[in-house]
Amino acid sequence: MAEVTLKGVGKRFGATDAVKDVNLTVADREFAVFVGPSGCGKSTLLRLIAGLEEASTGELLFDGQRVDHLAPARRGIAMVFQSYALYPHMTVYDNMAFGLRRTGLDRQGVEKRVKAAADTLQIAHLLDRKPKALSGGQRQRVAIGRAIVREPRVFLFDEPLSNLDAALRVQMRVEIKRLHAALGTTMVYVTHDQVEAMTLADRMVVLNDGAVEQVGAPLDLYHRPRNRFVAGFIGSPRMNFLDVTAGGDGTVALAGGGWLPVPAAERAAGGQPLALGIRPEHVVLGGSDLEGRAVLVERLGGGTLVHLELADGATLTAATDGASPVRGGEPLGVGLPPPSCHLFDGAGLALEAPP
Amino acid sequence: MRRTAARLGLWLLVAAIVVFAVFPFYYAVVTSLKTGSGLFRVDYWPIDATLANYLAVFREQPFGRNILNSMGVAALTVAVSLALALAAAYACARVAFRGRGLLLMSILSVSMFPQVAVLSGMFELIRGLGLYNSLPGLALSYMIFTLPFTVWVLTTFMRELPKELEEAAIVDGAGPWTVVTRVFLPLLAPALAATGLLAFIAAWNEFLFALTFTLSNEQRTVPVAIALMSGASRHELPWGNIMAASVIVTVPLIALVLVFQRRIVAGLAAGAVKG
Ligand SMILES: Nc1ncnc2c1ncn2[C@@H]1O[C@H](COP(=O)(O)OP(=O)(O)OP(=O)(O)O)[C@@H](O)[C@H]1O
Ligand SMILES: [Mg+2]
Repeated sequence: MAEVTLKGVGKRFGATDAVKDVNLTVADREFAVFVGPSGCGKSTLLRLIAGLEEASTGELLFDGQRVDHLAPARRGIAMVFQSYALYPHMTVYDNMAFGLRRTGLDRQGVEKRVKAAADTLQIAHLLDRKPKALSGGQRQRVAIGRAIVREPRVFLFDEPLSNLDAALRVQMRVEIKRLHAALGTTMVYVTHDQVEAMTLADRMVVLNDGAVEQVGAPLDLYHRPRNRFVAGFIGSPRMNFLDVTAGGDGTVALAGGGWLPVPAAERAAGGQPLALGIRPEHVVLGGSDLEGRAVLVERLGGGTLVHLELADGATLTAATDGASPVRGGEPLGVGLPPPSCHLFDGAGLALEAPP
Repeated sequence: MRRTAARLGLWLLVAAIVVFAVFPFYYAVVTSLKTGSGLFRVDYWPIDATLANYLAVFREQPFGRNILNSMGVAALTVAVSLALALAAAYACARVAFRGRGLLLMSILSVSMFPQVAVLSGMFELIRGLGLYNSLPGLALSYMIFTLPFTVWVLTTFMRELPKELEEAAIVDGAGPWTVVTRVFLPLLAPALAATGLLAFIAAWNEFLFALTFTLSNEQRTVPVAIALMSGASRHELPWGNIMAASVIVTVPLIALVLVFQRRIVAGLAAGAVKG
């Protein structure tokens, strides 16, 4: 159990800055998720915490103690890799015992801990098998088992579920969450799947291009994104963005000619071009703020996605219930409920609504 | 019909390859079982077979000793080559350092020089080290051709091993030595068997260095011993003895290949470590 603190951590690979000046504290027992698009430096940041990569700048502390100079095994971390990285020539038992034996623990101690971990993960019947003879989900469990036997202070996961099929991914996601509750260990989890991130995280860290964009509880990020990148990245389907102009009096002018009162617009000077963001699930079909036409209707059973083309050529996605009678080609009015509208200035920063 | 024809063709091809590869050896076996004037008759079956030549080989020179020498030299060459190559391969495949590519190229370029070209230099080196006319000296000289390819093959194989495997071991607390011996070595077993065997064959068959760097009959290896066999008079070649000796030295190689056959196939087919 440990609190992980990063102070101004950066990592350069030759000419590229993979991680730039990251300041972050992951509290003891917290489940932190790093999320961001491919190549944004998630893995690099995780590997810096693991000690597999050496930081170019900054400090790394566990419980206030600097650990930068310690080898991975001495930091008290355990890592689960995307490709599982099980030792192919060893049985499941030996895979899990390998790290324990390195610590000088005696045979009975090793056996007890491996058995206990195997029971927790329900892989006790697989202990004599080689990784070759396991399914993807079973391999994943063994990889997690290899991490938990070491009773680490911090668990690190690098996209552990991305090689599993959709159904198994959901199941393992639940199991990892349960494991976290049972072990109460600090966990740092990397994923590019924002559903995984939303469901697992106590705290989400959104990364972009090597820098932290925003840190917060999943719902905070969903409701109060700090900038346009976070707003677009969190939520599925993506948030819609429309070009609007501030009226200077707490309203914005829509491209269609209408005026919409948005609380945050008070912060903008009249005539300032802004981007209005609204999530598909907040768009109201049959409203009167904008005129459009349904160009494509996707029926998902539980819900329906309607892709609209607005009068000025902009596109908008709306999510409604599965029983919606909308058909492709139909002209539709669209309502934008002001409390659900976000505004972003030219630099992409969110305008905060006054209290 | 067509399938039978295709099958027949395949078997004919296999038969041709087998005859081409095995017939010379078979003929040597047949010849080694003949004596006297029978040696100069062309026979395809052993007629009047006798083991006299085999006994004579061991009686007329220290041939048993020569075989032991060859085995010792070849085994030493293989053991030292593989140990050095494994360590070098770890460095070349896994440790990033300046000039790695250059180092690999220069290792490869060592095998560019024909043996004759390095013979005199090697002679001085061996004598300087006080290893002239000794088996370790021979083993040392053989490494000039075994090391380049063992290093290269093992480096290539080690590069193929997933990086995450090594990192998992590091997180588990393994140092470089443990990583190499406990994680990489077992996974490289097929490659080690294949390269080890090639090194063994090269050392076992080597002639020029063995001839130059040994002086006495007791230190000679088999190829030299066979070449230097002489008959009762200067003009008589002990053909039967030579054939018998050739058969004797071929048998260990065949045995080795058969024993390691499956590993070698796995080694040459590579990519055997996924999962
Ligand atoms: N060993 C390395 N040498 C050079 N550049 C590297 C190295 N490792 C990562 N990078 C670069 O650093 C950046 C971040 O890489 P990283 O692997 O952390 O991305 P990621 O967020 O994990 O992406 P993904 O979701 O695709 O796994 C990338 O631009 C990558 O090319
Ligand atoms: Mg990654």
